[in-house]
Amino acid sequence: MLKADPGFKKTLSPVEGAGKLSYCYQCSACVAECPAAHNFNDFNPREIVLASLIGVADYLTAKDSVIWQCTTCYKCYERCPQGTHPVEVINALKNISCAAGNGPEEVTSSRDNVLANGSLISPSEAIEKRRQELGLDKAPVAPAGELKKILE
Amino acid sequence: MAQNQEYTLFLGCMIPLRHPQIELASRKSLGALGITLKDAEGFTCCPEPWNFKGAGLESWLTVALRNLAVGEKKGRDMLVLCNGCYATLTEAAHLAACNGEAVKGAMDKLKSLKLSYSGKSSVRHVASVLQDIGVDGISGSVRRPLKGLKVAVHHGCHLLRPSEVMGFDDPFEPSVLEGLVESLGAEVVRYEGYTDCCGNATRDTEASLRIGSEKIAAMKKAGADCIAVVCPACFEQFDLGQVEMKRRLKVDHRLPAFHYCQLLAIAQGEDPESLGLDRHRIDVKPALVKIGK
Ligand code: SF4
Ligand code: SF4
Repeated sequence: MLKADPGFKKTLSPVEGAGKLSYCYQCSACVAECPAAHNFNDFNPREIVLASLIGVADYLTAKDSVIWQCTTCYKCYERCPQGTHPVEVINALKNISCAAGNGPEEVTSSRDNVLANGSLISPSEAIEKRRQELGLDKAPVAPAGELKKILE
Repeated sequence: MAQNQEYTLFLGCMIPLRHPQIELASRKSLGALGITLKDAEGFTCCPEPWNFKGAGLESWLTVALRNLAVGEKKGRDMLVLCNGCYATLTEAAHLAACNGEAVKGAMDKLKSLKLSYSGKSSVRHVASVLQDIGVDGISGSVRRPLKGLKVAVHHGCHLLRPSEVMGFDDPFEPSVLEGLVESLGAEVVRYEGYTDCCGNATRDTEASLRIGSEKIAAMKKAGADCIAVVCPACFEQFDLGQVEMKRRLKVDHRLPAFHYCQLLAIAQGEDPESLGLDRHRIDVKPALVKIGK
C-alpha cells in the first residue's frame, strides 16, 4: 500500500524554485511538448509533480527511476501557467535520489570526477597533439585540489 | 569597425578537451571582430547543468560560484562558447543575486579559498556578444559570404530557457541566432520543432538518439545543407550522434554540423583546411561545396 507523506514536498529544495508545487492545478500544459514524455510512457511531469505533492514519490527517487530521462529542456518551466517549474521539482528529486545512494552510476561518477580533477574530461596526449596541430596552446589545467578542499 | 571589447575566455571542458577545432575557429573569428579574449588560470568545469546539478545542487552551486569568483577577480566579464557553461554560470549568478539559503552555504565555503562573488562581473554567451556587435558589424567582417548555403539553426535549450533567467531571446520563437547566420550571407531554413531539444541529456541512449534523429529529419525536410549550433554538447549530439544513429537506428542522415563561430570564420575568409574541420565525424564537404570551397 502506498502511504502518502504530505511533508515530503517540504523536503524539496526551494532554492531553484522547486518549492512552488502546491500551485499546480494539474492542467497538463507541461506534458504536451515534453520530449521525455513523448519517449517514455511512464514519464509525465504532471504526475511527477502530483506524486511529489502528495508525498508518494518513493518510486521516483528509487534506483533507475524514470526521472533521469528528463532532458532538462525547460519547456515545462516555460509552459506551466502556475510557475510550478516541474523540471526543478525533478532536479530536487534527483538530488534526493543521489543523497540516498540511488543515483545512476554515470551521474555520480561524473560529479566525483569533476570534484577530484576539476574537469569533466581528463586531458590526454592525443588531444594535446591535436591542439598542437591546430596551433593552440596546451589545454588549461584545472586546479583540482581546491574543489576537494571545500567540498569533501 | 573594431569593437575593442575584452572578455575573459571561459572555455569549459568539452571545447578544449574534445573539440579544440571549435576553440580555434572562435579565437580567430572573434579576434577578427575586434574582440579580445583573455585566457585565465584557475577555472574548473562550470559544472555542467545536466548531471552534476541533479547529483547535488549545493555542490554544483559552490563550484559554479567559485568559477564566477575567479572570473570576477580578473576584472572583466566572461565569455562562454557553450550553452552548458552559460546556463550554469548564469543561473548561479542569478541565485547569488537572490541570496537564498544554499547560496549562503556556498559563499561560506568560498571564504576558505579567500574568494567571493559580488555579481560585478557577469557571463556572456558568444551569441549574445555577437548580437551586440550586430548584423552590420558581423557582415562587415565577412569576405566570402556563405551564399547558397541553407542552414538549420539549433539554439539549444539552455541558451533559451528559462527565459527569465537566460534572457537571450523568446523561448519558443527565437530569431536572433538566425539573424546572425543570415549576416554571413547564408539562408536560414526554419523547420518544424526548431526550438526542440537535441536530446543529449536523456539517460536512455536510444531515446536520446531518436530525439536527435527526429530533429535532423525535420531539418533535412526543410532543405538544410547543414546545422548551426552554439554549444559543444549539441554539436556532439548532431555530429558523433549521427554515427550512432546510423549504427543503432539504421538512419543515415549525413547532415554536417558546425558551431556558429566555425561558419563565421569560414565567411571571414579562413581556409576551411586550416580549421581542423576534418575532425568532424560527419563530412563537412557537401556543405563547403555549396559555397564553392
Ligand atoms: S506543473 Fe504546471 S503545467 Fe504541469 S500540470 Fe501542474 S500547473 Fe499544469
Ligand atoms: S525539462 Fe524535463 S520534464 Fe520538463 S519538458 Fe523537458 S524533458 Fe520534460
